[in-house]
Amino acid sequence: MNHCNRFRPAPINRRELLQRFGSGFGLTALTALMHDPAFGALTLEDLKSEKSEAKAGMPNHGLHHPAKATSVIFLYMDGGPSQVDTFDPKPMLDKYNGKDPGEFFKVEATQFNSIGKVLASPWKFNPYGECGLPVSDLFPNIATCSDDLCVVRSMVSEFPEHTFANYFLHTGSGLQGRPSMGAWINYGLGSVNQSLPGFVVVNGGLIPPGGLDCFGSGFLPASYQGSVFKPKGTAVANVQPLEKTMERQRSKLSLVNQLDHLASDQFGTSDNIESAIRNYELASQMQTAIPELMAFGDETQATQTMYGFDAAYEPTRTFAAECLMARRLVERGVRFIELTCPSVSGDRWDQHSNLKEGHENNAKAVDQPIAALLKDLKQRGLLEKTLVVWAGEFGRTPFAQGTNGRDHNPFGFTVWLAGGGAKGGTVYGQTDEFGYKAIEDRTEMHDLHATMLHLLGVDHTRSTFRFGGRDMRLTDVKGHVVHKIIA
Amino acid sequence: MICSVLFSVHCAAVSGQEEASQGQSQATSEQLEFFEKEVRPLLVEHCYECHSGKSKKLQAGLRVDSRKAMLKGGDSGPALIASNPDESSIIQAVRYDGFEMPPKGKLPANEIDILTKWVAMGAPWPAEQPSDGGADRESFDWQKRKEGHWVWQSIQNPTRPTIAETDWPKSDIDFFILSSLEKAGLKPTLQADKYALVRRLYLDIIGLPPTPEQVQQFVSNTNIIGTEQLVDQLLASPHFGERWGRHWLDLVRFAESRGHEFDNDAPYAYQYRDYVIRALNADVPYDQFVREHLAGDLLKSPRLNAAEHFNESILGTGFFHLGEWVHSPVDIRKDESDRFDNMIDVMSKTFLGVTVSCARCHDHKFDAISTEDYYSIAGFLQSSDYREVAFDAMECNREIGSQLAELDQNYREKIGSILSKASPASILAMDHASKETREANMQSLSDAVIVDYAIAEPSQFFVDGELFGKRPRHAGEISLVVSDGKAKLDFVRTSAAASDLFWNSFKKQEANSPNQMSSIGKLPRSGRTLRSPTFTLRDGKVDCRIQGQGHVVACVDSHRLLAGPLHGETVRGIPKADGFQWVTLNLGRYVGHRLHLEFTPDVDTLMEVQIVTQGASPEQLKAIEASKANVANQITEAAKVIDLELQKDKDAEERVNAIVESWSKARLELQQKIRTTSRVAMSMMDGTGEDEHVLIRGNSSNPGRTVARRFLVAVDGPEPLAIEHGSGRLELAERINAATNPLASRVIVNRIWHHLMGRGIVPTTDDFGFLGQRPSHPELLDHLATKFLSDGRSLKKMIRYVVLSKTYQLGSRPDAISTQLDPKNQFWHHHAAKRLEGEAIRDALLSISGRLDPTQYGPSIKVYLSSFMDGRGRPGQNGPLDGSNRRSIYLEVRRNFLSPMFVAFDTPTPFSAMGRRNVSNVPAQALILMNDPLVAELAKAWAQRACSTVPMSEGQSPDARIRWMVMSAFSRESNEPELAAARAFLNKHGQEFGMTIRDESLWEDFAHALVNKKEFIFQR
Repeated sequence: MNHCNRFRPAPINRRELLQRFGSGFGLTALTALMHDPAFGALTLEDLKSEKSEAKAGMPNHGLHHPAKATSVIFLYMDGGPSQVDTFDPKPMLDKYNGKDPGEFFKVEATQFNSIGKVLASPWKFNPYGECGLPVSDLFPNIATCSDDLCVVRSMVSEFPEHTFANYFLHTGSGLQGRPSMGAWINYGLGSVNQSLPGFVVVNGGLIPPGGLDCFGSGFLPASYQGSVFKPKGTAVANVQPLEKTMERQRSKLSLVNQLDHLASDQFGTSDNIESAIRNYELASQMQTAIPELMAFGDETQATQTMYGFDAAYEPTRTFAAECLMARRLVERGVRFIELTCPSVSGDRWDQHSNLKEGHENNAKAVDQPIAALLKDLKQRGLLEKTLVVWAGEFGRTPFAQGTNGRDHNPFGFTVWLAGGGAKGGTVYGQTDEFGYKAIEDRTEMHDLHATMLHLLGVDHTRSTFRFGGRDMRLTDVKGHVVHKIIA
Repeated sequence: MICSVLFSVHCAAVSGQEEASQGQSQATSEQLEFFEKEVRPLLVEHCYECHSGKSKKLQAGLRVDSRKAMLKGGDSGPALIASNPDESSIIQAVRYDGFEMPPKGKLPANEIDILTKWVAMGAPWPAEQPSDGGADRESFDWQKRKEGHWVWQSIQNPTRPTIAETDWPKSDIDFFILSSLEKAGLKPTLQADKYALVRRLYLDIIGLPPTPEQVQQFVSNTNIIGTEQLVDQLLASPHFGERWGRHWLDLVRFAESRGHEFDNDAPYAYQYRDYVIRALNADVPYDQFVREHLAGDLLKSPRLNAAEHFNESILGTGFFHLGEWVHSPVDIRKDESDRFDNMIDVMSKTFLGVTVSCARCHDHKFDAISTEDYYSIAGFLQSSDYREVAFDAMECNREIGSQLAELDQNYREKIGSILSKASPASILAMDHASKETREANMQSLSDAVIVDYAIAEPSQFFVDGELFGKRPRHAGEISLVVSDGKAKLDFVRTSAAASDLFWNSFKKQEANSPNQMSSIGKLPRSGRTLRSPTFTLRDGKVDCRIQGQGHVVACVDSHRLLAGPLHGETVRGIPKADGFQWVTLNLGRYVGHRLHLEFTPDVDTLMEVQIVTQGASPEQLKAIEASKANVANQITEAAKVIDLELQKDKDAEERVNAIVESWSKARLELQQKIRTTSRVAMSMMDGTGEDEHVLIRGNSSNPGRTVARRFLVAVDGPEPLAIEHGSGRLELAERINAATNPLASRVIVNRIWHHLMGRGIVPTTDDFGFLGQRPSHPELLDHLATKFLSDGRSLKKMIRYVVLSKTYQLGSRPDAISTQLDPKNQFWHHHAAKRLEGEAIRDALLSISGRLDPTQYGPSIKVYLSSFMDGRGRPGQNGPLDGSNRRSIYLEVRRNFLSPMFVAFDTPTPFSAMGRRNVSNVPAQALILMNDPLVAELAKAWAQRACSTVPMSEGQSPDARIRWMVMSAFSRESNEPELAAARAFLNKHGQEFGMTIRDESLWEDFAHALVNKKEFIFQR
């Protein structure tokens, strides 16, 4: 399933609807839009009534309050990077290295049930930036962006298994088939760009466990689904015309257009058919927009080098292309961009053994490109409006699995935010002295989602979609905006 | 009466005492000061936001703003046990032991100490009025809810409304529709023309467009075939079940893989799909269809396949098991409750149109559905099991099994009557020996024994298939041994559930599916498995006394996807050994969980299971061994005596030998009739009947009281269902099917209306509850439901009834006034054009191109994987681009690798019942029709077909071929402007790109353009 091309026109808000209505946009086309759940089940009466937005269960599009961010780049660290080896230093691990963890705290059930000894981090931490943020030697480049990072050390998840945790991180539910946050954000705000989808996943090689349902639209209309792009080549399925020349396709499409307009004999002026006709215009635009997006040659050599296009390590080059593509997508108004990890030797960040080698390879792949992305966004004035989120589905245990690995740990781990209204140069929350469980300012997945939506101008309690007898939300019935991490 | 008075007095006394013991014994002023200064501020700061009268939303039903409220507690019971901090859940919670409160972070140690000290001193609290914010727990009044919502009211049989335009209606449907149109000042539009109608009927009923010949037959003036005749033909077409089967598969979240991380196979899911298609084609009455889904495995006389005589009914139960499965869940019980939740969700939406799973954590917010409803239904699932049933062979072999039991019994009696004369003392001794052990075991070991097959009740004996017979065998029973081809009299030495070599020729037919990770998936279990009763694990050491080779599987919390790092200890291979041995499972991880064991012998081997224990000491195990051995010895001794006495009584011996020989012969003869191979399918199996606990707030680690199994309170009232034995699913099915249930028939007729008319009378087809939409034509809905019930619940008759109405046959062009007044067509003044589903579009392409392979049924065609379809569990083998030209319903549905084309055209993600697909309008659809290689390939094939069907000689006009193609794609004649446009295109496009009218490639471009015309994917 490539989920690609889930492109759609931007949903329009009530005011825009009225404007278009007033300026001669056909009544029939208007009702067609209103029939499309992507536009909410508004009726004419609703349009005339100022109360429409207050109606229970009505999708509540548009901004609820001024937005700080207009786009999100989600750096998905597949497999669960270890908090105590990256952004959450714990001297106690050095002190009690090799001791039985049960002496110090209650050890919860783990995925592999192979509880080893307390394991000190193989990496040194140093303070960086004016804020003095401690960052481990895994991220020498990201460390230089410390004053832009808002590090949350008290994340918790509800699931110690990859797939549950991935669905939870992506959709706010541990179950398969629920709408992804990118879908929710586009459902709430719509896309600015009409020739690109509003939710793009740039796949560096590793589709997360749980598959493409991490990027699905669930019960929301298919329009909101994440489109999987590749960071090189054609990028998307079915945007490359099969005809030898564009002219030949154009000639065929012109016949299609002609015949479609002769069809009123058969259909009258059917709304959904008119909308389907409009799709072809958008589809054609996309056929040109994608090659333009992928024209990395437009970038200066310096930019390419900064991202890591020349890096010796192949996965670094892949992630460099992903990061550059993310910036170019932000420039084109795409709402939600997720980057998946490139495949490094070993495994994703899921080091059940060989922590040192595995984390080093994964860090090497992403460190330079991420730092470049942050700096590039900043120098172009885009960072203010772009919320960058770095997160895995959970963290890792402070004690070993076997001798040199770490198992899954949903009880306390680190994510960071940058730009888009996040408070740079800060640390929020803390884990216990071993870095095992969050003990201060516990931040749940729903809180992270609520905060992300908040920065985008969306009230997570009001952005709902009625399905299966409930008004569904990204945050279920939970979630609190974490105001302390907002600038 | 007296009793009840006494009882209530007694109760009052108890609760009075309780009050006293929890009551404050005169708090001192120091204590109260401590409370005010130290304790109350903590409660206010950390707890009140969620647990007080001022909470915006009270959490867990718990208030901590008064002592009384804390003693009363919330969903999880009392928060406070005065003077007992360790038992008080508020203290456990702040210690992060069990609950973790406050959720934002653990309190500093000194604050925890303060709270602990306060509880220890008896939780002093000054006398005060509780601050009321009204946020106390709301009580759930199902009767009030029921009265307040239309769907719980019984189905009426409304009379036909009066109308002005009496010439218009054809059927009663039309009266209801016209009446509401007239009331709204609207008029129905003109009837659809015959071209539109024939295409509509074909697409709606069989999901394929008519061929040019089929259109001609219908529209020709000589009227070769009338509408009713056409409808009957289409309903009788084998393609009918494929079309409507796909609608049904949307409801049961049909998929052939488990999703999650590795997208493991859901083996043989296609058997369920085929069952649905066959059942719809056979027009199985809907109540039977429902019964088969819920309890097809429990029917006394299941429906047999007409041609192949296999058990059809049991295949229906497969729908329960089409959900996601997870490997290596850390919280295995939660995993089970999630699986059950999905089953309840699908079942209740599909058959009842209500969202019972909304009541998993709390009483339904809006509907007359309580948490007790939810868990009473969960009990049916708790009492049931998954199996891969050998459905081909089961009926035949079940009958043979019965004959075998009878045959054995007859011969035993014959021999027994001779022996009881020849050697009466020995027979008595045998009987005595076996009885003694039964009693001995019962007394001394009852705590440790899970099942002792020497004394097991019939309700404790569960088998899948015939291998283990109809009951355990008992020590002292007369039996046969065959050695060197010669049958000999023998006696059963020890009581056990034992497999019988009689069945060794039985094999399952199909190989396991390739993406099968589960370590038990490969075991030869279908039709060859003994299942223990369900029990609660109190001790992690489970010992089974077994003879023979094979496997024992501990099925904990019904978890069966045994792969990955966890739960490997639930499977134990039984090594080869002489005689009986103790096979020990170490299940320490699962103490407190519910489980049962499943025993399967290896192929061509025997297995006997004597007894299963938990937590038995070595001494106890020794004692069991000794007592079993003792019995065996006594029987051996008695057998020797019998042998000697028979040697003395030659006449008796001869008679016995003759009987033994004919017994053995009779068995061999019967054995020839065994159905030796069988296909298998996912299905239900009954386990130990048990009621489920209410899980407080849906939390599987927080069980509350149990609730008896029953149907929804709002339909059937609160009385438990009378269940004779087993799960009770059959009884549940009867309650769903009861004519007094207002939900089931309304829901299904509404689904039919939805598919035919483009929108349900209740537009939210899966939610008739309070949050769903109200019926636009409630009387019509009840009229249809009534007719459905009186017409034998035939789906085909209902479809026929609707499509023959004038309402259905309305044209798709609304008039201007109606459009103005009712733009959303709420009143059905016209029949709105609708977009075809992705499956129907693909099928239409196959059909016009002549490539459609109409083969029905069988294993699915593997999914075609483009380079964009990646991720864990990606099948190693790619499927063909064209899906072997089979209809779309026969293409494999893998949860993590869904067809991009179908997804773009809104085929639902298979996770819950989805009776109403989204109809989105996205450029991806255009891109697929423009650029997808499959569409191009089929358009090309269609062009080639057009060229050969309508040949063109030199200089001939292309019109005939154009007309044929328009007829083929759109089921209508061409019009002049269209022909002109086509001719111009052929001319200009040909010139521009160097093709002549004789070149097929020019026609391929033309064909590709035609399938991109919107008319191809819309039905008017």
